[in-house]
Amino acid sequence: MFKIRSLQSVALAAALAAIGGTANAADTVKIGFNVPLTGFAAADGNSARVGAELAVEQANAAGGINGEKVELVVYDDQASPKEAVPIATKLTTQDDVVAAVSGSYSGSTRAAAGVFQSAKVPYISAYAIHPDITRAGDYVFRVSFMGEVQGRAGAKLIGEDLGKKRVVMITLKNDFGKSLAAGFKEAAGKYGIDIVNEYEYSIKDRQFGPLVSKIKADKPEAIYASGYFFTAGPLVSQLRSGGVDALVVGQEGYDSDKFMEIAGKAAEGVIITTSLDRDSKSPITQHFIKEFEKKAGYGADMVAASAHTAVGVLVKAMRVAGTKDRAALRDAISKIHLTASTGTISFNDLGEVRKDVQVQIVKDGKWHHHSVISDPDLLAPPSK
Amino acid sequence: MLAFELIVQGLVQGSIYALIAVGLTLVYGLLRILHVAHAGLFTLGGYFCVLITNLLVGVLPSPTGSFAIAVILSMVVVGVLGIVIYRLCYQPILDKPPYVALIASIGLFIAMEELFRLVFGPYGISYTNPPMAESVEFLFTSLKQAEVLTMLGAIVLIGGLAVLASRTRLGVAWRATVTDPEMAQSFGIDIIKVRYLNFFIGSALAAAAGGLVALLSNLVEPTMGSVPSYKALAIIVLGGLGDVRGTLIAALALGVIESFGTIYLGDILDRDAIAFAFLIVVLMLRPQGLFRSA
Amino acid sequence: MEYAITLGILMGNSVILALSLNLISGYCGQISLGHAAFYGVGAYCAALMTKAGIPFAIALAAGMGLAGVVGVIVGLASLRVREDFLAITTMGVGFLFLGIVRQQDWLGGEMGIYAIPDPGLGKTGYLILTLAVAAAVAVFSLYVKRSWMGFSFDAIADDEDTARMLGIDVSRYKLTAFAMGTAIAGLAGGLYAHDIKYIGPDSFGFVESISILSMVVIGGIGSVPGVIIAAAVLSVLPQWMQFIAEYKLLIYGGLLFAVMRFSPGGLAEMANRAIRRWAREKTA
Repeated sequence: MFKIRSLQSVALAAALAAIGGTANAADTVKIGFNVPLTGFAAADGNSARVGAELAVEQANAAGGINGEKVELVVYDDQASPKEAVPIATKLTTQDDVVAAVSGSYSGSTRAAAGVFQSAKVPYISAYAIHPDITRAGDYVFRVSFMGEVQGRAGAKLIGEDLGKKRVVMITLKNDFGKSLAAGFKEAAGKYGIDIVNEYEYSIKDRQFGPLVSKIKADKPEAIYASGYFFTAGPLVSQLRSGGVDALVVGQEGYDSDKFMEIAGKAAEGVIITTSLDRDSKSPITQHFIKEFEKKAGYGADMVAASAHTAVGVLVKAMRVAGTKDRAALRDAISKIHLTASTGTISFNDLGEVRKDVQVQIVKDGKWHHHSVISDPDLLAPPSK
Repeated sequence: MLAFELIVQGLVQGSIYALIAVGLTLVYGLLRILHVAHAGLFTLGGYFCVLITNLLVGVLPSPTGSFAIAVILSMVVVGVLGIVIYRLCYQPILDKPPYVALIASIGLFIAMEELFRLVFGPYGISYTNPPMAESVEFLFTSLKQAEVLTMLGAIVLIGGLAVLASRTRLGVAWRATVTDPEMAQSFGIDIIKVRYLNFFIGSALAAAAGGLVALLSNLVEPTMGSVPSYKALAIIVLGGLGDVRGTLIAALALGVIESFGTIYLGDILDRDAIAFAFLIVVLMLRPQGLFRSA
Repeated sequence: MEYAITLGILMGNSVILALSLNLISGYCGQISLGHAAFYGVGAYCAALMTKAGIPFAIALAAGMGLAGVVGVIVGLASLRVREDFLAITTMGVGFLFLGIVRQQDWLGGEMGIYAIPDPGLGKTGYLILTLAVAAAVAVFSLYVKRSWMGFSFDAIADDEDTARMLGIDVSRYKLTAFAMGTAIAGLAGGLYAHDIKYIGPDSFGFVESISILSMVVIGGIGSVPGVIIAAAVLSVLPQWMQFIAEYKLLIYGGLLFAVMRFSPGGLAEMANRAIRRWAREKTA
């Protein structure tokens, strides 16, 4: 009996310690980070985490924040709003983070944003695109494009820059895909695009046989397809082997070397709008790409680059405004002008990023620079 | 012709469903267990097939040959694993109420998916040199060789199963055990061996499905089995629990319905919902399923 | 403190939800794999109403009512099919619900519904509300169990045909169980929506249904205290296990499997065995 009891108390102590959170290391600057490490979004979550960790390592190697080391407090939210809210509460109360970054999807980010706003802790969304994330308040920012903005860029790219008018849309049925589609449709008319048909698919689909058959009958000049590398890879591969040769234009969801791994030769010539320029002349971008590959063991992707950028924004702002006054930090973030791996970052009044759209193309099995879209009016995100 | 193409595509998808669902219905027919973890074996079969093919591709001249060896190896290994799962997980709880096996199976499936993620990584793996990727002219449409193989594979494997069941002693013993285990035992049939065989065959078929699906989409992911895990349940209910032929027809029918549904009903319902809407409608009209159970 | 309150609300909500499924599965023996749909119906209904300006209490009640009505409809369907079919049919209902919600823009579609108005109770007030409701549901469950309704539920769970022969109106009791369970799930949904203030289709899927069922089964199907403890612990387990975040789900799956394999009656069975052993030692 006694043995069982002492075992129980050990277990109890361990559990309490776990709830209590990590013991406070002396004098570190804590940045919170919620990310899906398990569950369906684990692939993106893993990349985002590595990207963020790299940024922290680089910051510490350069002397930290005014002498103090930066620490990333990472929690797994399984891309679920239900998990994200307690995590956000823990970060803002028990862990007392100076600021936080979301490496997660829209649902969890949106839910967490509310908590961070109420606690007046600056929160930057790395790649979650739900429009209402920044509407949570003035403490919430986003370093990646809103879906609508990228969609509009896609329309200009296809209609004007590439001159294709007869377009079929394949839309991923989630907030990412739908907001891209909305932006695309909004701007399509301006560039003379005729949307012949729009088809939708679910994030779990990998077999697109019926879709390919139908699109063959539509005979489009270009296909605007939203998705992630794990849906776009199979989709493009099946389009090509089904005999559909039309140009395929995607977005940053494709942006990973895994896309070429899955689609093989079919990936040649696919064009995407994104934030990461592999051929960039910017030393910061090249440095990031090299360092990431060294740390992660695979090529950098958009998710990692966005998380890296988000942490980079916080680090720069903290160097300017210090880490004691969160209101001053928020102001420093809103006024920031940073050259990061994903371009030159600055924010508008809503906390939405203003930057150029990079266009990349798959050539010889790798992502390469195609062009840049920098139309400030077209790309202006909403400001309230 | 679009309609014809859609039907063929539906049959391809239906063949995959059939290979998975048959294993499930075999288990249900024999033991009245909803073997959700079966979908985990489907995923594992896919992983083995891709890994072995990729290993052999450097060594053997043709990717198709590598694939053939890989898929057979995969089927055998996964088949044995199916037996192991029966022995360790189900045999001890056969006397408990049915929800016990169901929840145990669900727990096992979740654990399997997580193991796949931890062992093989979250990104999924692909064939480095996808075999059978060329197209073949077939009536009014062109198909990938892989698609033709999928349909042929389902016909051969399931047809082979039917022949086994009706023409061999083993098959007779199996059918007797399904109908009346006690009577079968009294005739000297070793029902434990029959169960092992049952799990072996079902799991091997699922492994084949995994390898074939990997050919079609060139991606094997840890969560590949989650959709089949519940869809296959719908299919075996439609087919009449325990009825292999009914399951086959239900699987093919569902494939075709999804094929048309995703194109024309895409605005109203998504793919999974179409499958279950179909299921619910059928069950309301015929509560015993499309085909009466064995 | 705030973190503890957040966890407390999460726990309380899960307890309400698990007890509601217990009424259906635990008492009446009908295994439902789609319970999250009713959770969702209540959440969406209450959220849409408060966004339209309707007071919180009425919105909650409406969510409860709507979920109960949908529950009766599904219950009617369950009458036509039995046991294994039922599990799969309820699973189908779950997918159908989500499939519809995802496509309707007025229900938020893929984006979900955001900026759900705060009911104005403050965090502590909300915790008290949630715990009060949880306590009420627990008392209600115990009352039902001990009443003549509970006796009939037991009989039906044990052997439907015999129960029918004994003159128990099986259909009516099954429907009643469904209505009660789904209505309470709807209530939990409304509470959830106004806590997180954002709901989307991803929160009410098959995975969620399995989570709820796991809480009931691990607690001990039919046992009120068992289900309460299991729900409270399992709901905050992911938070507590952050230090082994990578292995969380693996442990969860393993736990489900292990409990079913070694102690299918769940915590309740384990507790009973322990108590009996202790009693025997005492008298020895």
